[in-house]
Amino acid sequence: MIALEGVSKSYRTRTSRQVVLDDASALFPTGHNFGILGANGSGKSTLVRLLAGTEMPDRGVIRRDARVSFPLGFGGTFHAALSGRENVAFVARLYDADRRAAIRYVEDFAELGDYFRMPVNTYSAGMRARLAFATCLAIDFDIYLIDEVTEIGDHRFRKKCAEAFRARMQHSEIILVTHNPQTIRQYCDRGAVLARGEIRLYDDIGAALAAYQRMLGSEAA
Amino acid sequence: MSEALASWAVEAEDEGVLGQCRSAEALYYDGRYDEALALARTAFAAAGESEAVADFCGWLFSNCGRHGEAAAAYEALLRCRPGWAAGHRHASGSYAAIGETERALFHALRAYALRPADCGIACHATELLLRSDRLEEAAEIARRTANGHPGNEVAFRLLSEAEMRLGDEAGALAAIDRALALAGGKVEYQLHRGHLLCRLGRWDEAIESFGEALSIEPANVAAQRALLSALLDSGRVEEALAYGGALIHAAPDSEEIGQALLETLNRRFATLDGDYIVLGERRLKPLRPPRPLPRWSDGLGTQARVVLALVIREARTRFAEAKLGYGWALLEPILHILMLSLVFAVLMRGQPPIGREFFIFYYTGIIPYHMFVHTSSNLAYAISGSAALLQLPLVTTLDLVIARGLVEFVTDALVAVILLVGLSAFGLHARPHDLFGIGAALIASWLLGCGCGIVNAVVNRFVKSWDKIWVQLARVLYFTSGIFYVPAMMPDRIRDILVWNPVLQAVEWFRSSFFEGYDPHWLDRSYLAGLALLAVLLGLGLERRLRPRLFEPS
Repeated sequence: MIALEGVSKSYRTRTSRQVVLDDASALFPTGHNFGILGANGSGKSTLVRLLAGTEMPDRGVIRRDARVSFPLGFGGTFHAALSGRENVAFVARLYDADRRAAIRYVEDFAELGDYFRMPVNTYSAGMRARLAFATCLAIDFDIYLIDEVTEIGDHRFRKKCAEAFRARMQHSEIILVTHNPQTIRQYCDRGAVLARGEIRLYDDIGAALAAYQRMLGSEAA
Repeated sequence: MSEALASWAVEAEDEGVLGQCRSAEALYYDGRYDEALALARTAFAAAGESEAVADFCGWLFSNCGRHGEAAAAYEALLRCRPGWAAGHRHASGSYAAIGETERALFHALRAYALRPADCGIACHATELLLRSDRLEEAAEIARRTANGHPGNEVAFRLLSEAEMRLGDEAGALAAIDRALALAGGKVEYQLHRGHLLCRLGRWDEAIESFGEALSIEPANVAAQRALLSALLDSGRVEEALAYGGALIHAAPDSEEIGQALLETLNRRFATLDGDYIVLGERRLKPLRPPRPLPRWSDGLGTQARVVLALVIREARTRFAEAKLGYGWALLEPILHILMLSLVFAVLMRGQPPIGREFFIFYYTGIIPYHMFVHTSSNLAYAISGSAALLQLPLVTTLDLVIARGLVEFVTDALVAVILLVGLSAFGLHARPHDLFGIGAALIASWLLGCGCGIVNAVVNRFVKSWDKIWVQLARVLYFTSGIFYVPAMMPDRIRDILVWNPVLQAVEWFRSSFFEGYDPHWLDRSYLAGLALLAVLLGLGLERRLRPRLFEPS
């Protein structure tokens, strides 16, 4: 469960102030996968960072009774001078996960071979992405945050990712931000629409998508 | 034998027919209904116009469920006894039972006209009028009956029905409330009231009524369905679905409930935009137990774990860029001390201000100074250098600062010990007289470095060239902290100013603990300790105050 209580958040852009949330309250209950919809620039990524706890709200409280992941595939925490193995060990140590198990999982999943024991700055972009994805899956989070699903690796590896993720979803939830309605329908059963500083939750992903489309339509008109 | 039969025996013209009736009655009481009916039919065909025979046959036919024949018998009886209200009532009942509403109504109205005060007859007539959609007349009779029999709930129930169908919901509601006041335990009455309230849009009361009906008869399917639709129509969709689920769970084989639930779901889908799809993966997950709220001790444990992880990471990467790695941490002070020793040994002709060896004297200056400068400079980048880690909500700026501060302390303290061991290995007199004091001096120096470092980290974010300014400040401190001299060598006027420098105080503290007998009167340990604490508090306060702005996208 993640609960937003009277949360306000805005940030400065070069010319003006962008309001993401204005005294918004919402409850993401346990047991549901949420898809978050919103126009470009409505602040979806900021919302994800707020949910993750990466960013602090200007006002209001965000409560979590679950272990919330950092955005899936986020590799910014990797230290370039450390090996993949050391980086995984660091994240596992942070989240109090079983280090050996996490290292074994990532070594097995990311298919880095000997590179796993070499500094991350010798990795290609694809290798980094694989390491990041595997590291996030290696930690047992209750809620996974996904800010745009980025496709990594070849077709076979993508399939492997999808399968691993589906297995994880048996007992974890996701909160997903993407522009692709297909992906949202595939993974989410509920939806939220973020617009003009307000977040509106829908019990049903179909209703959320329809409301979002109506909103886009009325804005275009 | 019953008295009735005895009297018929007297009145009967045909003993044979009456005997048949008597036998039929006996057979009826014996449970041999078919034989009884056959006998009665013969009797009725033979002497249907006889009042006694018609009366008996009407009784037998209607009791055996042959309402058509019973009606014929009652018609025959009424020809003998015109104006007999009870006969009309019987005839009406029989016609109603075979669906001949018009005939039934005719007799009912005749019965009512003959005995308008009979509540049973009036109610029966009202019911038939309602069935024939003659609502005005029904309402009229029902109203009159209800007035005449204020203790009869059936009259009020019928009145409510009539008024509801005439469109007077408020009147209908008042009537059913009267009926319920007289007989609250009737499920059908509660259902009727619920439906009325639904019509009026008073959902909550309606749901209450249906609930009442269910509390009287929990398995009543009509009540279950009514509650389900009321929940749904009132917009309490989640509750409706939950209730429907509970119903189907309780009676998984009930087709009727299944049907109702299906209707409910269909209606729910109809309210959504047409493109709803059902996915196999979307099953209900078993709820995981909520995590217990963290206690403060858990928070402390988490922070310790995070700091430890950061310390290990910092330690692994601290000198990652330099080829020498940790060798550089040792080499820097060694080169520094060597250089100072060479220069000043020549200048001062072989005698340091305190002690006997230049190496040791400069060591006592360089070590506390480095502790301060390294800590304050490196902490300045503790946040910006690891900003990416702040993307992990577990990691706070405070953790980064603490971790780096610890790494600095351990590194510089280790260097101090190794150098000291090395110097004595070269045969120099390198035994401090107060180890505890040396540790305290280093900690004070480190704390001061931490405070300044955190302030630096925050100021760096807002003042672009602050790190360059800080390098200049550190250089000034290098000359004013008594590293290669002692304040005693300065004129009093200058010395009185210099002793305000906390780094000089750190160096003096270190030296007074190292060299026995060196205890300058300007050394004020509490001044340094207080200032160090103040710097730390200032740094942490600034960090906390400006934290949201520290990593705002700019």
